[in-house]
Amino acid sequence: MIKRLLTLFLIALAFPAWAIDGNELLRKVDRNLEPESYEMYRKLINIEPNGSKKEFVLYSVKKGRDKVVALFLAPSSDKGRATLRLGDNMWLYIPSVGKPVRITSLQSVVGGVFNNADILRIDYATEYNAEKVDEEKDAYVLSLKARTGEVAYDRLKMWVDRKTVLPVMIEAYAASGLLIKTLHFRDIKDFGGGIRRPATVETDSPLYKGYKSVMLYSQLKKTSLADEVFTLNYLPRVEDLRK
Amino acid sequence: MLSRAFAICFLALVAAGARGAEEFAFDAAEFSRKPLEFGSYVELRHDQFRLNPDGAFYKLNFFSQPRSVLNRSTAILKPSGKFSAGIATFNFRAHVERQVSSTGNDQANRFEEFSLSLKPHAGFTLDAGKVAMKWGKGYAWNPVGFVERAKDPNDPELAREGFTLLSADFIRNLDGPLQTVAFTPVLVPVTSDLNNSFGAPDHVNVAAKLYLLYRDTDIDFMFLSNGSRTRRYGADFSRNLSSNLEIHGEWARIEDAQRPVTNAAGAVTTTTSTVHSYLLGLRYLSERDTTTILEYYRNGSGYTGDEMRGFYGLVNNGYAQFQNTANPSLLQRALALSQGGYGSPNSGRDYLYLRISQKEPFDMLYFTPAVTLISNLGDRSFSVTPELLYTGITNVELRLRALFLAGGANTDFGEKQNSRRLELMARIYF
Repeated sequence: MIKRLLTLFLIALAFPAWAIDGNELLRKVDRNLEPESYEMYRKLINIEPNGSKKEFVLYSVKKGRDKVVALFLAPSSDKGRATLRLGDNMWLYIPSVGKPVRITSLQSVVGGVFNNADILRIDYATEYNAEKVDEEKDAYVLSLKARTGEVAYDRLKMWVDRKTVLPVMIEAYAASGLLIKTLHFRDIKDFGGGIRRPATVETDSPLYKGYKSVMLYSQLKKTSLADEVFTLNYLPRVEDLRK
Repeated sequence: MLSRAFAICFLALVAAGARGAEEFAFDAAEFSRKPLEFGSYVELRHDQFRLNPDGAFYKLNFFSQPRSVLNRSTAILKPSGKFSAGIATFNFRAHVERQVSSTGNDQANRFEEFSLSLKPHAGFTLDAGKVAMKWGKGYAWNPVGFVERAKDPNDPELAREGFTLLSADFIRNLDGPLQTVAFTPVLVPVTSDLNNSFGAPDHVNVAAKLYLLYRDTDIDFMFLSNGSRTRRYGADFSRNLSSNLEIHGEWARIEDAQRPVTNAAGAVTTTTSTVHSYLLGLRYLSERDTTTILEYYRNGSGYTGDEMRGFYGLVNNGYAQFQNTANPSLLQRALALSQGGYGSPNSGRDYLYLRISQKEPFDMLYFTPAVTLISNLGDRSFSVTPELLYTGITNVELRLRALFLAGGANTDFGEKQNSRRLELMARIYF
């Protein structure tokens, strides 16, 4: 009996990956990236192969696992536009059009390599199930599968830094196995309030050769908001949330 | 000389390095909220119309000044602003327009919106003043848009002027399949001086909209009381069937709708009945980033092919009368009728709208070519509009589009004023 237990113990030592719960790790990644409810500012930069750039500034708030609102503050041509995500539902409000229209996760309200699912991202653990965890010297490699067909990317391969439990790189794949884009997380910064995470996310895509998009984070902090903020009727008033 | 060249190279490298370091710097402090905010855009547009000398609407509008081409240049300034203090926000959006054309000059100055909002908490808002309400889920048409000005299906995203009204907005979020409930009651007073384009004066019109987000479907129910316009009820819905496919629909019941119908002699018969208008549409995004919007619209107040032929006959008779006798009386009668239903952009019964746009083809960021088809299914006439939109310059939108109309005699698009239109538009935001 003791011999058998010893054998099992040695096997467990030899394959420590068995001890890692991929979904638990994914939930840790989510919380290390952002508090469950937060407000933050982001700058999105689309960079063309010739070096020319187009920049957008967004104010975003999130509540719970799947409610996100983002308001465009710049450029002037997009100022006042607001997007809402409730789970798999997404809407875009354009002040001149005056009413929210449904949009889909694969579209992009900013053009460039980031799509709506990237801009209105909710917790990875809400959208993906960890099927496998591989280990590399400095990273865990999570193989994630979308929980439903509504999710923008069918599969993700996520490299998670062992020490910080923060993503280093994510590859996003379509159901066909096609690599859609790669996200690189850089520049770990202390945002205060116990939030320490990458302040820069860069993405490139084989579908947009030579193009690059960058997302920069600022003033990320925990906050508490009414549920009514995350409704279509509130979209024209999101600006009022900013202090 | 050499040392100077090195120095210049060094400074250039330092500058490049500094740019590299700054490239991804972002501090949100410069975007802190200000109590007073202004924004505006200038739109410069040139339209060239190839007129349709056989069209009824050409004869109606150009019988006294015939021409084959009309050039029109338009400059529009749209300043907007917002002043916030506590729970109160004052909003305005103005429209200043100057137009120069082959037939003369024109101008328009108006406030499209001018209102005060009180927001004591996230679940309640009170608006008073001139507000542009936008009801319905349709892209090209909104039969349930009971308290707004009609949309131009050729340019559905154009900002429209509001009506002076009082409205409230109650929002409640819930747990369970019914996620959101919002109720929006509206009062629209109409006098000879206020909101007179809404309908008959001396009424306070009551309208309301109930919004539900139920099982991931947007659902609205609308109502407008009998007053300046006849009583009407409506409903709409919108839902994403998948991550790239959305469907939507609208239905409106209009009671006591009056339809003046003319024959070729100008004898007008007005019928009063309850009519139903509805719309069904979808929006689809392909893997290649092609967006397709398809809508079918049934215009319950619209005219049948025979009824439209009666109107075209009246115009043709009036035109012949004017040419023979210089007497414009029949044409003036037709002109008066065209101010109502006959002259609306889509006066027929059944329409199809199809728009296909391709985002950034051939990896060209910010270029969006599109083509739009609007067809009267009753007589199979149509307009087709290819366009090219470029948004690659920050705060500038450039749009080039051409509108081609076809259908022949006695058809909706064949009797329009133009057979072709070329438009170049630049919009600069501040």
